[in-house]
Amino acid sequence: MGFLKYILRNVSRNKLRSLLTALSVGICLAMMTVLYGFITLNDALIPELAAANRMIVMSRDGFTSSIPITVLDHVKRLDGVQSVVPLTWYLGVYRDEKMPSFAQLATDPKELLKVWFEFRLDPDQLQAWQDDRTGCIVDRRNAARYDWNVGDSIRLKGNNYSVDLELTVRGIYDGPEFINDLYFHWEYLDQELRSRNDPKAGTASILFVRAKSEKVMDQLCEQVDQRYENSDHPTLTQSHQAFAQMFTKFAGNLQVYIRNIGLAVVFSLTLVAGNAMAMSMRERTTEIALLKAIGFSRGLVLIMVLGESMAISLLGGVFGVGTGRVVWSTVHYFWPTFVPMDFIAPVVLVSGVAVAAGVGLVSGILPAVRASRLSVIDGLRRVV
Amino acid sequence: MIPVKYTFRNLRARWVTTVMTALGTGLVVWASVLSFGLADGLEHALMISADALDVVCLRKGSLDEVSSGLDKQTADRVATLDGIVRDETGEPLCSQEYVVTLMKPRRGDGGSTNLIVRGLKPVGRRLRPGFRIVEGRDVEPGKNEIITSHRVAERFANLALGEKIKINNTEFTVVGHFEASGCAAESEVWTDIRDLTTVRKVQGVVSSISFRTPDAATQERLIQIIKEDEDFNLKAMTEVDFFKDQMTSAQFIKGVGYFIALFLTIGAMFAAANTMYAAVAGRSREIGTLRALGFSRSSVLMSFMLESVVLCLLGGLVGCLATVPFNGYSTGAANLQTFSEITFSFSFGPRVLLEGVLMALMMGLVGGLAPAIRAVRLNVLQALRDV
Repeated sequence: MGFLKYILRNVSRNKLRSLLTALSVGICLAMMTVLYGFITLNDALIPELAAANRMIVMSRDGFTSSIPITVLDHVKRLDGVQSVVPLTWYLGVYRDEKMPSFAQLATDPKELLKVWFEFRLDPDQLQAWQDDRTGCIVDRRNAARYDWNVGDSIRLKGNNYSVDLELTVRGIYDGPEFINDLYFHWEYLDQELRSRNDPKAGTASILFVRAKSEKVMDQLCEQVDQRYENSDHPTLTQSHQAFAQMFTKFAGNLQVYIRNIGLAVVFSLTLVAGNAMAMSMRERTTEIALLKAIGFSRGLVLIMVLGESMAISLLGGVFGVGTGRVVWSTVHYFWPTFVPMDFIAPVVLVSGVAVAAGVGLVSGILPAVRASRLSVIDGLRRVV
Repeated sequence: MIPVKYTFRNLRARWVTTVMTALGTGLVVWASVLSFGLADGLEHALMISADALDVVCLRKGSLDEVSSGLDKQTADRVATLDGIVRDETGEPLCSQEYVVTLMKPRRGDGGSTNLIVRGLKPVGRRLRPGFRIVEGRDVEPGKNEIITSHRVAERFANLALGEKIKINNTEFTVVGHFEASGCAAESEVWTDIRDLTTVRKVQGVVSSISFRTPDAATQERLIQIIKEDEDFNLKAMTEVDFFKDQMTSAQFIKGVGYFIALFLTIGAMFAAANTMYAAVAGRSREIGTLRALGFSRSSVLMSFMLESVVLCLLGGLVGCLATVPFNGYSTGAANLQTFSEITFSFSFGPRVLLEGVLMALMMGLVGGLAPAIRAVRLNVLQALRDV
């Protein structure tokens, strides 16, 4: 324990230098925490989705195309399917926003909660929604953000669709953290489209399916895709997790770019920390020689220097990861479109600290070995 | 004024520290310039697509071509408007286009991205800057043929000359590759509009109308006419404004770039300050001597500031040079709304490099200020006595 105290004492000998080094490490790690938090955001959600046995049926052409609603009738009857609802992204613009900032999904109110069974919704509100064709339900967080209450009306302007919608809030639900969607009646949208002879009538963006068990899911996916393989609208059916992973792959290049920057930054930090450590050690040659003269072994000196280097880096690391986490929450508060969840996977935070420790270790090796190998006589003789 | 030679000699004397710090700042500048070059390249690809005198029309209320859908009759009527530039044969330079995004596999890494497929008639080519076929030939209508750019062929599977992709279970063959000054068209696959709308079973549907006007006044007048005509139900804007709206992904990348640059610069400032503090501490005797010799406080201050600046500029130079191999390197960025890819090249123009150098300069100035002030505050007698 005295040993640790000695290391920490050494760290605080040149407070300014230790502080500056720790800050360099910290600031860079803060940045990396935010960036990595961003690229792992999608993947972090995936394990959460696994247990629910849900699948998505979409057009082979991608999620910007639609599939005919008749596919739902077919899927509903398949053995192994518990429940299925259509979901159509309306992508409307609310008030004077420039772009859609939250998803509005057309769906089947009678079956939605059988598929999204995690949603908590007051049964009276659910009934009210089911009874009102132009009704909608919103999630609690969005309701707080836009100050919506049951009975308020929400007007959406069509962007992807040529029709505008006038909806009334009939219920406020509590769902998983990453869901902040508004749900309304598919029938309402479809009727508006049909009255305009819009070719998008009678379609859905995707189907959201709840399977009876995990075992039948693979088989179901194959069954659906095979059935429509050679039709006008081939489908792609996959598990909810695979669907989410698809989006991660879209961002592919951004991940590569951030990872490369990360590598460069870690390399750079090692140099910076190593430089600072080397400067410290240069000033302490007499002291090290003295320690060895009174009996400190080589190994002990090595560990001492390494310990000091790691202590400084770790201080910076903890500070950096903490700051990064705070920055993330701040960005989430002001620009939720870029940072939709106030969550960073713990593995990112732990890795950040681990990287700091690693940087401390690697940057400290050269000075540590030099110090341990120092000839006692030369060291004592040297005038700094 | 302390001679500049002193600065350089000092940097050389402690060359290990100099190199390490320079590499540190160099990496910072490299990462930042890379980000700026990325954002710049994307912006360039979008802005060069816009001709100052062109007009783009979409269905009223839609934000991009993929969500817009209007009918052919409206498009035909727009083409008859007086004022649109006409070609040698008297035909209006007005193009009706149908755009759809299809998920297609990328070449090599097994993932898929949304590919932009555009159906248009020959007149559309005249509205893109410098369009020319560089390999093979252009499409012939009625034969389900497509053309695309080299870049798209590199990024997506099955788009090399002679290869085929499926659109709605019908095969389309690549008959040529084209170039168009690096504009947005080079991220797309083109075919005949009727071939495309037929297989998609949306005959008579058009996504957008583009036409050229002879001057700004006519452009403004025509935009007004179209916006006010209720039968049209269109929104019209200059092509420049249209592409500005498409730039959300460029803004995002720019934002990320500035975020990275800001944090890294601050980190590097601390590192530079660290080095300079050590320099000052190790040279207190020297500083005392200089002061005793008669050099003023401001000379000492300037000298140390200069040392810090040169150190960081050195790193900045290395960092900028390290970006050169990336120049012209093509990559893709996903449009955050439609998730379709736009391919573009990194662009390290003089402005971006200047930004990098300025960053290095700032690192040196801000990072070196406090240590330099400390050097100046040293009591001469004490400094001389220092070991």
